Amino acid sequence: MAKSGIQYSKIAEIKGPLVVVDDVDNAAFDELVEIQTTYGEKRLGKVLEVGNGKAVVQVFEGTTGLSISQTNAKFVGKVMEMPVSEQVLGRIFDGLGRPKDGLPDPIAEKFLDINGSPMNPEQREYPRDFIQTGVSVIDGMLTLVRGQKLPIFSGSGMSHNVLAAQIARQASVVGTNDEFAVVFAAIGVQYSESEYFRRSLEESGALKRSVLFLNLADDPAIERIITPRVALTVAEYLAYDVGMHVLVILTDMTNYAEALREISAAREEVPGRKGYPGYLYTDLSTIYERAGRLGGKNGSVTQMPILSMPSDDITHPIPDLTGYITEGQIVLGRDLFRQGVYPPVNILMSLSRIMKDGIGEGRTRADHQEISNQNYDAYSRAQEVRALVGIVGKAGLTDIDLKYLDFGDAFEKEFLTQAVDENRSIDETLLLQWKSASLLPKNELTKVKDKFISMYYKSTK
Amino acid sequence: MELNKLENLLDTIITQSESELTSDLKYTLNESKKVLLKSYDSLENEYDKIINDGKKESDKITKQILGSAELESRNKQLAMLEEYIEKVFSKVISKLENMTRTNAYSKFLSSLIEESIKILGTSDIEVSITNKDEKIIESALNKFTTVKLSSERITCLGGIKVRSKNGTMMLDNTIDARLANMKPLIRKEIATKFGVNN
Repeated sequence: MAKSGIQYSKIAEIKGPLVVVDDVDNAAFDELVEIQTTYGEKRLGKVLEVGNGKAVVQVFEGTTGLSISQTNAKFVGKVMEMPVSEQVLGRIFDGLGRPKDGLPDPIAEKFLDINGSPMNPEQREYPRDFIQTGVSVIDGMLTLVRGQKLPIFSGSGMSHNVLAAQIARQASVVGTNDEFAVVFAAIGVQYSESEYFRRSLEESGALKRSVLFLNLADDPAIERIITPRVALTVAEYLAYDVGMHVLVILTDMTNYAEALREISAAREEVPGRKGYPGYLYTDLSTIYERAGRLGGKNGSVTQMPILSMPSDDITHPIPDLTGYITEGQIVLGRDLFRQGVYPPVNILMSLSRIMKDGIGEGRTRADHQEISNQNYDAYSRAQEVRALVGIVGKAGLTDIDLKYLDFGDAFEKEFLTQAVDENRSIDETLLLQWKSASLLPKNELTKVKDKFISMYYKSTK
Repeated sequence: MELNKLENLLDTIITQSESELTSDLKYTLNESKKVLLKSYDSLENEYDKIINDGKKESDKITKQILGSAELESRNKQLAMLEEYIEKVFSKVISKLENMTRTNAYSKFLSSLIEESIKILGTSDIEVSITNKDEKIIESALNKFTTVKLSSERITCLGGIKVRSKNGTMMLDNTIDARLANMKPLIRKEIATKFGVNN
C-alpha cells in the first residue's frame, strides 16, 4: 500500500453498492477509498477485489447519486482505521465511527485497523470470572463469563432490545476493582430504538462508562459491515491497552448478515443457504472470535451479539452458524413473550457453555451450579407436567406433579420475571432460586448437596 | 336443701366456666404471641426490603447524577480544547498563507514533483499550482523535462496538484491536502501540549 493518495477518474461501472474503478495500478485489498463527486461530496469505501487493472470498491454510504462521468476514487493507501483513546468513553458515534453527539473527534492515542490484530492462540487465556448483568435468569442459570461470546437469539418484535439496554445499564464486574466498560453497537436499528438506547444509557448514568455506535435502519446497509468492527476495535483498545473488562453488545446481527448478502448479490457471487454468501460462517467468525482474554493483559472482551431469527427459525443460517462459533446461546421464547413474561428467556433451549468457569466459591457462591442444575431439572419436569395437564387435566395429577406445577408457575413469576429497571445482585438471584426450589419437598432436590439444603432450603409449610 | 343444691350447681358451673375461660384466654394469649412473633419476622423482612430498595434507589440516583455531571464537565472540556486546537490551526494557516516563497520553498516544490512522479509511476504529468507560485515554479520544474505546467490555477496554500497525461490519475499534493491528512496527528500533538492525553 505504498502508493497513497492517487485519485482515479476512470469509473467502469456502478452496480448496487459497488463502484468498479478502471486502470488502477497497485491498489491493495481492503484499502480505504474516498469516493468524490465533482460537486465535492465525499464518501468512504474499501477495496473488495483487485486484478486486471480493475478495483472493485464497496461504498459504505451507498452509491445513490453517483455517476460514471462525475465520480473519482481516491485510494488512501491504508486500511480503515478507528482513532482510539480513553476519551471515546461516554461518546456516541455513527456506524462508521464518526461522532454523532455534536462533539469533536476524540483526540486519538492510537489509530487502529478496524479488522483487529489476530489473537495469538498461544496467548489466549480461557474465559473465567463472572460478569453480573443484574438479570436473574442470566446471572443465575446462563452466567456470562469474562471473555465469553454468548449470543441472544430472539425473534422480530420481541423484547431483545429492552434486554440489551438493561444489560448495558446494569452490567458490572463484582469482587474486583478492575474497571468495566460497555461498547454498544446498534446495527440497522430504527430511530426510536436508537433514541431508546441513548436515553437509557444517559439517564441511568451508565453512558460515562459506555461507547455507543448507532447505525440506523435508514443508513446505507453497507455501513453495517463496518459497525461491529469499529465497535470491537474500540473494545480491544479499552481491554488490552487500558486494562478494562469490556462487554460488547451487538444488536442486531441479522441486519449485518443482510448487508453481507446485499453485497454478495451485487458481486454476483454464487449464493449459499437462503442467498447468504458461502463465507457467512467465516465472516461471522472474524467478528465473534474477537472476544477473549490475552495472557499478561488485565482486560477482557466479552461479546453478547443479539440476532433476531427470521420466522423464529433457529435452523436459519444466521443463528445456526452463530451457534457453531459462540459458547452457548440465550433463546427468547415467543410463548413466554406472549404471556407477558420479561425477560422471556426459554431456559430449556438456552445454555452458557462455560458458565462453570465463572461461578462457584470465590466467584459467586459454592451452591450456584447445583441450585441452577436443580431448577433447570425441576422446570423441565414442570413443563412435562403442564403438557400432561393438557391431556388428563389437573385431577389426574399426583401430589408431587402438582408441586412441580406450582414450582413452574412460581419460578416464572418470581425468578424469571423481572422489572426492566430492576438490578438484582447475585445473592438476590440465588435467594430467588432457593425460594422456588423450596416449593418442592426436600427429597426431590437430588442435584444439591445436603449441606446446601440445610443452609438455604426454606420450607413453605 | 334444694336451694343449697342449686347454689352448689351454680358454683360448679361458674368455676368450670371460669377455668374454661382462663384456659381459652391463655390459649388465645399464646396464639396472639405466636402471631406477633411471626409478624415480627415478616415486619423485619419488610423493613429490610424497604431499606434495601431505598438504598438501591439512592445508589441509582447518585450514579445518574454523578454520571451526567461528569459527562457534562468532560464535554465542556472537550469543546474548549477543540476551540483552542482550531485557533492554533487558524494561526498556522494564516502563517502559511503569508509565507514568502524562498529558495527553500522552491526545493520543497521540486520534492513534491519528485514524490508525485514516484507515486503515479509516470513522469508524463501535468502540474497545477496556485497564482502565488507562478514566479517560483520555473526553477522547481527545471530538472523535470517531461513535466508540464498546466495553465489551470488552483486555490490552495501552496504545493501542487498533479494529473497524468491521459487524465485518469490525479494526485493532490498541496499543503492543504497534507495538512488535512496530518490533522488527527497534529491535533494529538497540540492536545498533548495542553496537557491532555499525557
